Formats: sequence, C-alpha cells, structure tokens
Amino acid sequence: MAKYIIKRVLLAVVTLFVLTSIVFVLVRLLPGDPFSNPKMTPEIKANLEAYYGLDKPLPVQYVTYMKNVFKGDLGYSMKYEGRTVNRIIAESFPYSADLGIRALCFAFFFGIILGIIAALNRGKKLDFFCILIAIVGTSIPDFIMGSLLQYFFGIKWQILPVAQYTSVKHTILPSIAVGFYTLASVSRLMRSSMLEVVTSDYTKTARAKGLSEFRVTFKHQIRNAITPIITIMGPTVAAVLTGTFVIEALFAIPGMGKHYVDSINMADYTLVLGMTIFYGAFLVIAILIVDILYGIVDPRIRLSGKKA
Amino acid sequence: MKKRLLAAFLAMAMTAAMVTGCSTPGSGGGDGGSGSDSDGGSSDAGGKKRITYTLREDVPSMDPQNSNSISSSSANIHVLACLTRNKEGEVVGDAAETWDVSDDGLTYTFHLRDGLKWSDGEDVKAEDYVYGMQRLMDPEVASDYAFIGYILKNGASVNNGKAKVEELGVKALDDKTVEITLEHPAVYFDAMVSMCSFGPARKDLVEEYGAEYAADPEKAAYNGPFVMSEWKHGDELIMTKNPDYWDADSIKLDEICIKTVADAKTGVAMFEQGEVDITIVPSEMVPQYAEGEFNTEAYFTGADDYIMLNQTEGKALANKNLRFAMNYGLNRKEYNTLVNYDTYVAAQRLVLPNVTSADTTYGEAYPYEPFPLENDNAKAKEYLDKAVSELGVGSAADIEITLLTTDTEGAKKQAEVLKEQYEKNLGIKVEIDQVTYKERLQREQDLDYDMVVTGWVPDYSDAYSYLELWISDGQYNHSGYNNPKYDELLSKSTTETDAKARQDLLFEAEKIFLEEDAALVPLQLRQDTYLVNPNIKDFNVYFVGYDFNLVYADLAE
Repeated sequence: MAKYIIKRVLLAVVTLFVLTSIVFVLVRLLPGDPFSNPKMTPEIKANLEAYYGLDKPLPVQYVTYMKNVFKGDLGYSMKYEGRTVNRIIAESFPYSADLGIRALCFAFFFGIILGIIAALNRGKKLDFFCILIAIVGTSIPDFIMGSLLQYFFGIKWQILPVAQYTSVKHTILPSIAVGFYTLASVSRLMRSSMLEVVTSDYTKTARAKGLSEFRVTFKHQIRNAITPIITIMGPTVAAVLTGTFVIEALFAIPGMGKHYVDSINMADYTLVLGMTIFYGAFLVIAILIVDILYGIVDPRIRLSGKKA
Repeated sequence: MKKRLLAAFLAMAMTAAMVTGCSTPGSGGGDGGSGSDSDGGSSDAGGKKRITYTLREDVPSMDPQNSNSISSSSANIHVLACLTRNKEGEVVGDAAETWDVSDDGLTYTFHLRDGLKWSDGEDVKAEDYVYGMQRLMDPEVASDYAFIGYILKNGASVNNGKAKVEELGVKALDDKTVEITLEHPAVYFDAMVSMCSFGPARKDLVEEYGAEYAADPEKAAYNGPFVMSEWKHGDELIMTKNPDYWDADSIKLDEICIKTVADAKTGVAMFEQGEVDITIVPSEMVPQYAEGEFNTEAYFTGADDYIMLNQTEGKALANKNLRFAMNYGLNRKEYNTLVNYDTYVAAQRLVLPNVTSADTTYGEAYPYEPFPLENDNAKAKEYLDKAVSELGVGSAADIEITLLTTDTEGAKKQAEVLKEQYEKNLGIKVEIDQVTYKERLQREQDLDYDMVVTGWVPDYSDAYSYLELWISDGQYNHSGYNNPKYDELLSKSTTETDAKARQDLLFEAEKIFLEEDAALVPLQLRQDTYLVNPNIKDFNVYFVGYDFNLVYADLAE
C-alpha cells in the first residue's frame, strides 16, 4: 500500500508539472494581454510588462515562474494590485470549501437514502417519487435552481436570506443549490447499483441463512452497492469544494468560483496559472484519497497487487 | 477490521463537517459573533448611520496611484483628501484651502490648510502630494493611469524613462505649498487634481509595504472624510468616519459599506430585503421598477458609445458617403428601445452634453443634432448611391461590412439589432464577428476590423476629453481618422486662454468631425439606474472621475 501511494504521489507531481507547463504556454496564446484596456498606451504597457517581468524572453519567465512555484510562491495577481495569488486563494477557498462540504453532506446523505428507498420500493410510488427528484435535479441547471430557491424562500416567503454568506442561515439555500445536482446523480447511481445487488446471489444466500431483513440490507446490500458512489466522489468533491462560479455569483459568496472565469477573461496570467495549479493539485489528491478508500471498502480491488 | 476503519474514517469526516459547519468563514470565530458587521442595511442597533451599496466586483485596488477603475477611484475619494474636491462638477478646495493660477495658465500653486493630519497622527505635508504625483509617473511603479499625468510638465518623459522623477513639474515650495507646472494650459486642471491619481501618498508606508501599499486597511494612512477600516477581499470594504478630517463636522455618515455582489439581480433582491441601500438595476428590470414603491434614479455614467468606423485606406468605410449612409440609416430610437429598454439615451453627437463649458454645460451652450434620431432612408439612399458608384460595386448588396463585437449576451443583442437595421434600411450586408473583450481591444489597436461598437469614458469634464481621441496621431485614435483642420482646431484650443473662445474652437472641431467627415456613428449615452433607499439624502453619482459619492450624504432617521 505504501509503495502504491508513493508511486501515485510521484505521478501526481509529474502531472501537475506538465499541466502547469501547458497552461503557462496556453495562457500566453490568449488574444489580448492582461494590460489591454481602452486607455492603454504602448509606453505604459511597456512599464507594466517590465514591472511583472513579462518583458523577458518566455523561457526565462518560465524558469523563474517554476522556481517560485516550487517555493510555493504563485506571484502577484495582475488585476488585483498588491494581492498575491496565494492570498487570493487563501481568502476565497474557505468560502468555497465550506459551501462545498455542506453541499456534499446534503447531496450524499439524501442521495444515498433516496437511492436505497427507490431500489427497495422498485416500481412503487416511492420509486417514482425518487426518480422524479433525480430527473428534476439533473435537468434543472443550478442557476435556475438557485434563483427559484431565492425567489420562494427569500423574497416570497421571507424565510431565509437571499444572499451573502455570513451565518449558518445564509448557507442553506446555496448549499442546496450546489448540492442538488450531485444529490440527483448519487440517488440514480445508488438506485441502479442497489438493484443489481438486490438480485445477486449473496443476497439470496444471506436470506437463505435466515438473516434479518435489516441485516441483509445494511450489512450485505448497501455496503456492496456503495462502491460506485465512492468512485464518483473524487472528481465531485474536487469540483464542488473548489467553488462554483454561478451559485457563488448568484448568492454573493466571496468564493473561488469567479476567479476561474474572470482570470481568463482578464488574461490575468498569474491568477489563471495559480488557479490551475490549485485545482489540479486538489483533484489529484481527491482522486488519490478515493483510490485508497476504494481499496478499504472493496478488498477485491486492492491495487497494490500482492506478489503471489 | 477494515469496516471499523471505514466507520472511523467516515465518523471523522462527518465530525469535521459538523465542526466546520458551525460557523462560516470570515465570521471571525463564534457563530454570529460579528453579526452587526454583516447585517448590512442602514439601520444599525447602535444607531450608527451606515449606508451599504453594492458593486459587481471587488474594488481592484485602494492604492490611489494604481487605481485604474471607477470603483477604485470612487472608494478613494472617500478616504483621501486630494488638493481639491469635485462636488458634481463644482470644484472646491479640499486639502488646499486656496490656489492661484499664473496668467499663462501653466502654473498652479496650491496652499494647504493648517493642521491637516493623517489617520495615524502624522502631519499632512505638501511633500506627500508631490510624492503621490511622482509615484503616478514613475515607470517603476507602472501605474495604468499614468497617462492622466501626461499633462504635468515632463510627465510623459518621466513615465517613458527619459527624464528623472525629480524633473516632474511638481514641487513642494514649503510644507504647505504645492506648485504644479503643466505642459499646456488646461482650464479643467483644478477639477482634475481632485482625482485620486493626483492624490497624496505616504512615502514611509509605500517603502514599508511596497507592492502591497493599501492592499489592507493597515497598510496605508488616510486623510479623507473616511478611513478604510475593514476590507474582506471579494466580500466587503468598510469605511468609517474620520474624526480628524478638517471638515468632519459636515460629514454625517458613520460608516459606508461596499458589498461585492456579482449578480445585479441578487443586488436587487437584497435591496428588497432591506440588506443594502443602493444597488444597480439591470436594464431589463428597469421597466418593472419604473413605477412602484421603490425609488429609482438614473445617472449618466459619462460613457459615450459609438460605432467606430475603420477609415484607413482600402477599407470600404474610408468612403465618406458610406459613412454618412451608416449615420442616416440607423434608427437610434428603436435601437435604444430594443437593446437598452430605453434606459440609455440615444446619442446624436460625439460629446456628452453634460460636460462643463465655461459657465454652463456644453449641451446648453452648443445644442447640436447632426444626425436624426430615427432613420432617414431617403437621405441614406442618396449617400449610399454615391458610395456605390465611388466604390465601383454593382449595388449596395455587394457592400459587406463586418461588425466586430464582444462575446457577451448584451453585445450579441446589440450587434444583431444593428445588423438587422443596416440590412433593412441600407440593403448592405453586415457580418457579425464575436470575440473576447481583450481580443476586441487588440484588434481595435491593430486596426484589424471594419466597424466596432466601442466607447469612451472621459477623465475630466470638458469636451476636449472626447475630442482629443481623434487627433490624427492620437494614442487612442484607432479609426484611421485624419483631418489636419481638426488637428489644428484642437491644438489651438490648448493655448486659447479665453474660456468661451476655447469652447467655440472645440465645438467647431466637433462639427467638422461629424458634419463634414461623419467619422463615426454616435449611438448611445449610457445611464445606470439605481434603487436608492428613500431615506438617503445628498447622494450623487457623477460621470467623471468617480461614480458613487456619499461623502456629504445623510440618512434621515
């Protein structure tokens, strides 16, 4: 296991290195540059380029940048004067992560329960209800879900605040809006995987042994059905925790989401790169953890492969 | 065993989620501990007078010399006392009590008030203003807005590295006197120095914090009506009243909060919930708020949009008659209704009528409607026929023009309305080319387009601000427009010391630009519509140098 993890970590570092290098070049190919604005003059642009070191040849810039990245320094943003990318991430990530964790708890908890209920009541009204939620969840885009929640709970019934992120009450609507899509896909996945398990041989064996229905469901069926859920957890966790552009904008949450889109629109080279590295590292780590978890849950797919 | 491990792991994860779930980031520890900070809205338990307004993005910078956006400069006029203060066009002394102008209009001498203090207790000195302006022009500081200081003697050469910073035409004659020498006379200069770019900076703090000067409240000092007291980047910026400001007795508000709300519709919803006092209304929502319980107010932003026509040789639009046809073939009224829900004002000329002109506004001094509000197809056809024969094409349908535009929803709609009107009214072919904003700017600079919807926001309230763009070798002239007569009039205007005669010259230039050359197609004057808490008094939005001004605002009980 340890060897496996080390191998994966090394691979992750290489992946990040390649990713950063590619993005470093790609971002320079974007039309326009960070300093273009309607009032920019060539002389002032030259001053700015010198200030940010963009006047040096690209390979030199690349080496300098990589050196700094290894020291953990992502440089100064070009749009937000005087703020480092490290700082922008450090300030906005806690909001995105907080929202993401709430959304995931909501999504996985209810998604798994709905999936189980649906599978155990296959073809009955409860099943249709769960399927309906899954269809609604996957087909309504998050910004519409968010706007609807805002309209009904915030404006019409005045139960919850429409926006901002300052107290637990404020977190409820955005968490639901972010989590609903995941909830829907989790419940669908859980339902189909439960259905497979319900008809499997070991379920029959368990029943034949005379185990209680409770034990059959919890010890044999759910445990086996849950593996596919863990598979989707890695990318989902990484995507949800690192910020969602639309919902954060809609609910005025100062998270990371906007920086993905804005930094590219503004051609803020350092911020684009910093966000890429951060997201890339997060994704790689999330997938690694999931792989390890996977092995724990399902001994059959232990990846280390003991030598015979 | 494994199962227990999994159970333990999950339990840990859940606990972690629960613990983090108890408070939200930035709420400063215990849940609701900073409740009063986050309540927003005007009513506060402590009876403080607080006004909250929304901005769609975080203030990019609070460093006065590195401020390059209207949101930065608006926030800065609240925390800094520049030499003068602009109260909706009326220029009054701020840090400077009085100032003299030499007879040739080139030298301004500002006399500072007695006893001015920075928020950290230091004395405000003439040297702080000199340092601020040197910083603006210093190539190593690399300010985006340095161009505004090209009016200072040696400004451009300092900024281009051809002269030393000390050679800039700004001197402290003593602790309380600032002398500024200009490149050319400018009647608008006393208004110009009210902009934060010309504001004071603290050398000791700049040296201490370097690039991070003013990136946090404690990394700068303030001498304005308010001080920056809190800045949660991306969330809110709070300014509190400065009791040491020289005119503190006239400042009524205790606190101003700028809230970042990216989505304007969310801002409106927050306004309805009473969480914010001033918020912008997206144009498509303006009609529904026009008559209702809430109070909306529209303000000119100063932005003047037009279709810029690439008239360099070889381009179809180098043909003057075609340019006239483009001007007569456009229904500006219908365009404004379809694209802007009538929230903007259709433009028929180049210069914003609101700008100052001697003792009145330019629009009142020189009323002018060179092009019709609605399309005049007969006249358009007359010009178009001439253009067709001059261009040597078979018919109007053979003229194909590409309209360069940005990839936003609004820009797309704008382009489609223009395309439809031109194809219907003139019978020419219009292609739409959508690119990113940055690419559009690049292609404007490279003259790689036929026509493009673009615009200008002035930096000082004077017709010259709009007209100087089109000088044939002007930095921002990306249209290829070139008329020696025009250049001469503008150049004359810079040395004319009689205010009225100078304005006459500028108007003459505007007439040549539009009536003789039809050098662009005036389109719209932008207005922003705000929902405003009716208890707010003396709040204003101005169109040059800043937008929100709450310095002397008050809140009725």
